[in-house]
Amino acid sequence: MDSQGRGLSESVWTSLDRKAGAVIELTVRQLRNKISTWVVMALGALLMTLLLVFYIDAIRDGFESIDNDGDSFDEDNDGYPMGQERKYGTSDWDGESFPGSGNFIFEGQIDWNAPDRSISGNKTWEGSAILEATWIDYDYSGGRWSNIIDWDDGNVEQCQDGDPFDDWWPDYASACMQEDGTYVVSGKLKASGNLFVPEGQYLSWGFFTQEFFVEPDPPEMYIDEDGIDWDGSGGSQGIDDDGDCLRVGWPAQAEAEMWWEDPHNPDSNRNGVSCDVVWIINPNTGEVVSINGDDLVDEDPVDADYAGESSHRAFVIASGKVAFVLLLGLFLPLFLALGLVRDETERGTLHYLLSKPIHRGEFISYRVLGYLAVVSTYVISLSLLMALITSLIGPGDELIRFGDFPVWVGIATATILVLAAYGSLFNTIGLVMPKYGVYLCIIIGVWEFAMGFTSIISPNSPVTFLSISHWGLQIIDATVLATWPDTLQYSQMSSAFGLETGLEWIWRPPVHTLGTGNPYLSIATSVTFLSFVSLILISMGSSIFQRKEIM
Amino acid sequence: MSSESPAVILESVSKWYGEVIGINDISLAIDGGVTGVLGPNGAGKSTMFKLLLGRLKPNQGSVRLFGTDPWESTAPFRRVGYVSETEPLYEWMTGLDFVSTMARLHGMTREEAIDRAEHVLDFVGLTDVRHKEVGKYSKGMRQRIKIAHALVHDPDLIILDEPLHGCDPLARTSIMSVIRELGNRGKTVIVSSHILEEIERITEQIVILHNGRLLALGNLHAIRGLLDKHPHRILIETESPRELAKALISREPVYGVRFPDQGYLEIQTSNLSAAHSILPQVIVDSGVKVRSVENPDDNLESLLGYLVGGG
Repeated sequence: MDSQGRGLSESVWTSLDRKAGAVIELTVRQLRNKISTWVVMALGALLMTLLLVFYIDAIRDGFESIDNDGDSFDEDNDGYPMGQERKYGTSDWDGESFPGSGNFIFEGQIDWNAPDRSISGNKTWEGSAILEATWIDYDYSGGRWSNIIDWDDGNVEQCQDGDPFDDWWPDYASACMQEDGTYVVSGKLKASGNLFVPEGQYLSWGFFTQEFFVEPDPPEMYIDEDGIDWDGSGGSQGIDDDGDCLRVGWPAQAEAEMWWEDPHNPDSNRNGVSCDVVWIINPNTGEVVSINGDDLVDEDPVDADYAGESSHRAFVIASGKVAFVLLLGLFLPLFLALGLVRDETERGTLHYLLSKPIHRGEFISYRVLGYLAVVSTYVISLSLLMALITSLIGPGDELIRFGDFPVWVGIATATILVLAAYGSLFNTIGLVMPKYGVYLCIIIGVWEFAMGFTSIISPNSPVTFLSISHWGLQIIDATVLATWPDTLQYSQMSSAFGLETGLEWIWRPPVHTLGTGNPYLSIATSVTFLSFVSLILISMGSSIFQRKEIM
Repeated sequence: MSSESPAVILESVSKWYGEVIGINDISLAIDGGVTGVLGPNGAGKSTMFKLLLGRLKPNQGSVRLFGTDPWESTAPFRRVGYVSETEPLYEWMTGLDFVSTMARLHGMTREEAIDRAEHVLDFVGLTDVRHKEVGKYSKGMRQRIKIAHALVHDPDLIILDEPLHGCDPLARTSIMSVIRELGNRGKTVIVSSHILEEIERITEQIVILHNGRLLALGNLHAIRGLLDKHPHRILIETESPRELAKALISREPVYGVRFPDQGYLEIQTSNLSAAHSILPQVIVDSGVKVRSVENPDDNLESLLGYLVGGG
């Protein structure tokens, strides 16, 4: 019993709790009555509103599909998109080769060193020869890029003096007339007559199949016609889903135009697996180096699904890292924690608090707790609001994306821990340097900001470990990985396909996993570190305040 | 242990701020009743209070509050109420809110704190304005709310630093009666002031500080008695100074007169009390009209001058 007849437990512990509660409550009420508190909180809310406006605007626009692999382009301007040309086995580069155009059927050839160097007939020819023509199809006329000889309606030039293929050589896709009425040809042509192939030259011949009309497909048909099956690892992935590569049910089977061509190679990436996509991943960084698909395997992602989800995640992570941890994390303590004790000294009201039976060290802790009560309530409310809005508007079939909430919990936790560390630090600075502490806090703020952005881009950089913001950002990176384990895939696909959703920039796998890659270990490490830093800083502040004379 | 120790003990306490001396080798003990701490600005009154409240650490000597060093422990503050000289309050709080919040810092429950706050607000006469914001209080009300906050936990020692400073006469009277009442209730009350007359109306027990030194300690009347035996002046404003001078010059305590200004008579005496005792009768007998009577030497400066000068 004490002198006033109360039980010991009543007089010591309970009153200690009451005193703690009273200081905390007083601190909360004081902060609530400060204009700067409301100004900085209103600015924070305004920032979030602006971010949400951008987010809602982006979501409302939808995610227009982009032709990632160029299938919808009509490179040779023949009216058929590349995807349709590939489907029919015609050339994307030759305007004469299009779906329904006659297919060239190979019949024979005179090789460079074949003994017999002459051939007669009415054929389609390709190669170099001296033509003694009885008929030439001047309508089958092209140019250098198609390798079809440009006959200019029969008005070809006279050949040069000297022996062809000896003194001079004809250009590709050209013909000229010699004095004896024969033609020196090089390229493709349709003609009847006798062809002499000089030694060292070659000639092949065959015929075109009957042409038929194919309705050109709209280019949109070839945008995102397939989704990605990638499981995040390297090697063979993504077997042809829509049968493009297997050619099941195709209207026409394209064949090789020339003997050396293979219009459809089901294993063009040469990994021994037909109709697949190979993902080559750098074993050191885990990032996608290249993606090599077999012909006609559409390895591009479905943009509406991919870009929507990827952009949504990038927004949530960016809001958490930049708006919550870096901006709110630094500005709230600068305005609210720096003056926790300093302002009382300046106003001359500190004696009301110090003339009470409260240990000065405890007093500092209670003041910081009061500050934390205010900022935590604010951060939790703000993050809950952001979580609700983004999970309602965000992509997906479900009404509310409840799966996002753990990420927002991680963001709120990271922000509160960062606020605790900065608050303890700034309050201590306010105690030691009442007049000029604000300048030191600003310098620290700039450092933390720089380290924060460095940590976002390069979390492995050891110098960032010396900042508080780095550890807060790590909690977000780790929570994201734990909540959305496929974020790494989204991030790598973003890099691989050049889809600029920002995910690959704003998110990196957590680094403090002690080599395990386990995100929960990173969360535990970061939470422990930030809590430890806060406790050390509060202890420092308490110790300084305990020995400080108050004038 | 602490309940048996005197409320305040200072033993050879010195405190200096760099080159400036705040308090120089002061030893005193205060326990029970009202003690006035007198001294001009800069005498060391506030430094002494800050030492008592553990806000400053003495450079030399020891400070004990109920037997405990207040620099090392805040435990004795449970028994101390402090009214500071400084003006600021939590302006946004109501009177009741302010006092009950301060009570809760002493470990009271919310209900206890409100009960006690209502009680002390009644004691200092602020019940009617307890729900008004303290920012809207008059100077006198602000002083009284500060006293209320210092009394809310029923302390054994109350320290009031210049509680009458800047108050109007009505507020002074009210605050003085509160202080006297506290003394009557057996509390140890320490009141500082730089105006002798204020302290004189509150208590007889005084401590006089000057330039950081303890100049006198004891009963005010005894000290004033010493002062009375030394030349004093009484300044009388009258229509007929010469007529009144004639009536007074022959009386025992008066040994000289002067006419410092038109309509003024200054009499010189070595016994101020005796001079004041005969003065009314002389005025009545002479039939001279007197407008005012003042004692130019009856102030702290004169007292200090006498004490410093060594008589």
